[in-house]
Amino acid sequence: MRSLFLVVCLLLVASSAPAQVVEESLSRDPGPLDFIQGEGYEQWIFQALAGDALVGLDPKGEPVPRLANRFNLLKDGRISFTLRSDVHFPDGSPLRPEDVLWTFQELLRNPKASPTKRAIFQGAAVGLDEGRLWIRSPKPPARLLMELARVPIAQANHPERGCGPFAFRQEPGAWVFSRRNHFLNPQVEGIRFRLLADPGAVQSALQKGWLSIGAPMSRRQTEVPPTHRLITQPMHAQQVVWSRLGPAPLRWLERWRKDAFPSQLLALNARPSRGLWPETLGFKSQAIAIQGPLPKPAGPLTLLYVGGNDAIEKLLLALRERARQDGVDLRLQPLEEGLLMARLQKGDFQLACATAIFDPHPWAVLEYLDPQGPMNFSGWSDARAQSLIPKLTEPGTAGWRTLQGHWAEHPAALPLLDIQSVIWVDRRLQVEPSVLGLYLHTPGAAGWRWLR
Amino acid sequence: MAPLARFAAVAGARFGPGLAIWGLGLLLALSLPGTVWKAAQPPPFPWAALPPTLAAVALLGLAAPALVWLGGPGLARRRSLALLEAPPDLLWAAYLLALWPAVWGPPTLPAWLLAFLLAALPGEVHWLSQALPGEDPFPLAWGPRAQRRVRWLALRRLWPRWLAARLPLWLTATLVLERILGVPGLGSDWLARVSRRDRVGLAVWVMALALLWFISRAWDREHA
Repeated sequence: MRSLFLVVCLLLVASSAPAQVVEESLSRDPGPLDFIQGEGYEQWIFQALAGDALVGLDPKGEPVPRLANRFNLLKDGRISFTLRSDVHFPDGSPLRPEDVLWTFQELLRNPKASPTKRAIFQGAAVGLDEGRLWIRSPKPPARLLMELARVPIAQANHPERGCGPFAFRQEPGAWVFSRRNHFLNPQVEGIRFRLLADPGAVQSALQKGWLSIGAPMSRRQTEVPPTHRLITQPMHAQQVVWSRLGPAPLRWLERWRKDAFPSQLLALNARPSRGLWPETLGFKSQAIAIQGPLPKPAGPLTLLYVGGNDAIEKLLLALRERARQDGVDLRLQPLEEGLLMARLQKGDFQLACATAIFDPHPWAVLEYLDPQGPMNFSGWSDARAQSLIPKLTEPGTAGWRTLQGHWAEHPAALPLLDIQSVIWVDRRLQVEPSVLGLYLHTPGAAGWRWLR
Repeated sequence: MAPLARFAAVAGARFGPGLAIWGLGLLLALSLPGTVWKAAQPPPFPWAALPPTLAAVALLGLAAPALVWLGGPGLARRRSLALLEAPPDLLWAAYLLALWPAVWGPPTLPAWLLAFLLAALPGEVHWLSQALPGEDPFPLAWGPRAQRRVRWLALRRLWPRWLAARLPLWLTATLVLERILGVPGLGSDWLARVSRRDRVGLAVWVMALALLWFISRAWDREHA
């Protein structure tokens, strides 16, 4: 009788213990885990779980030690890094400075390497000095450190192997990360990702309890199931309109964005942007600095956008109606994402709208300003700005305000909406939201805990 | 005419138009317009999805002719079949997802297979039964045995053509089911290659489908 009682007690305890593996979903296949060639948001998440960068970013976006427990700025402009000694790869071999060097050199050498990561090392030199890694870069050290947080280290000659807090394995139809012995001491047993491309399917899976974390469909945000809680996180992402017709149409858009979007349509996913550059990156709200009356466009304005996103389409329809009130004919033309990008890169557009995701540091806005910048679609240039940019060595200095002032005099792009991430998270799972999302900061998923 | 030239003429007449269409498809795949902002690696081919997909195709390839053999051309006029055929894949998958008990965990391959058959079988049965020759007055007057024999002969001729026409569709049109049920498969693969502008991967897809078509055409050869 006593043994039966014990068995029943054990079963009760086992059934009340929360599931240890976090169930997640991906909207698209991230491709093979590859620390050299991998690119895209889903790859960033995978690499943040299975890998470690020299430097991490805390939830506020400030650099913190990660693989390197110390970094020093040397007199000759190099930054030297001292690596932790308690880091091992899944095959048991310790992390060596040679692994870091191989990763950086491979990013520069391999023609198929991630373009985002390669851009971080543009013009940089890396080497070892008495077993200590150093980097010399034309970029300001503060910027380089923040960018290095996006470069997890792979084991030399094994681009698929990192030394992060979770070990990766692929199962049929799922990507699984299991907890490892790691200095960040991860608490959750693991994370399993399934490919769920359809937002409705994600919603159903959340409601049925098959997902611990997921993004609900925007129009059903109020119906949070009792098993989950709602978390909203501002992101370094904006819905941006680029103009090939000069700043005049952007001045109209700046006026319309204030009152065009009904709050029911915006829901929690977005709010109208206020300035020219993301406030999440520390920029103060700044208006377009052009005085005088607004010139009415001679004819209709055509706005290209990525079709297929219900929420964005409705918001743009609201914008079109607002434009009509001012007597401006705004014509919306949906395009497939790849075709829109080709039109942007060729400069074949009047106005074009797309989501811009910024790197987590203020230098990310230079993508608008650099002559070869990936977001400079209209050939924007300004001699004063070009001479100022090399002097921007720290975030938040007066130089940034001056630079934004130059941009405000003749901007080539204007954000319409600041995008927020809205997710449902299992009530029993403790996570730390940040502007980088749940995964990309330090400690990221290694800091999650199941509440009992 | 020399035997080689005669063979070329016959082969050209037999395969020429089809090869031209597949060639056009290949050209379109290789010259797909558009570009990707930040180029990402194309996903690896989902080899794990191949056996279940082939099993699903085999099941459908046997179940549909078997049902038509039993039901005959009259099936094409059945209202119940038309009702089953009407809902799109999306609806079947959504119903299945909604009715799938939460305690069973997320639906996996068996659920995908079920949704695939629910979505595809009525349409294929309709297609095949409509293509059967009429049975009134003959072989209806000769009795059920003769009826089944005639259906069998007709289906034997129809089967390869039907496969050739429908196989590419089945292999690629499961995309909706895969998206909703969360089962990565062949449909998601070609869509991912389109969105990432993996032109070489798409060209391989077109060539694989062209090869299937070619094999089925060669198999379907008329004997004099």
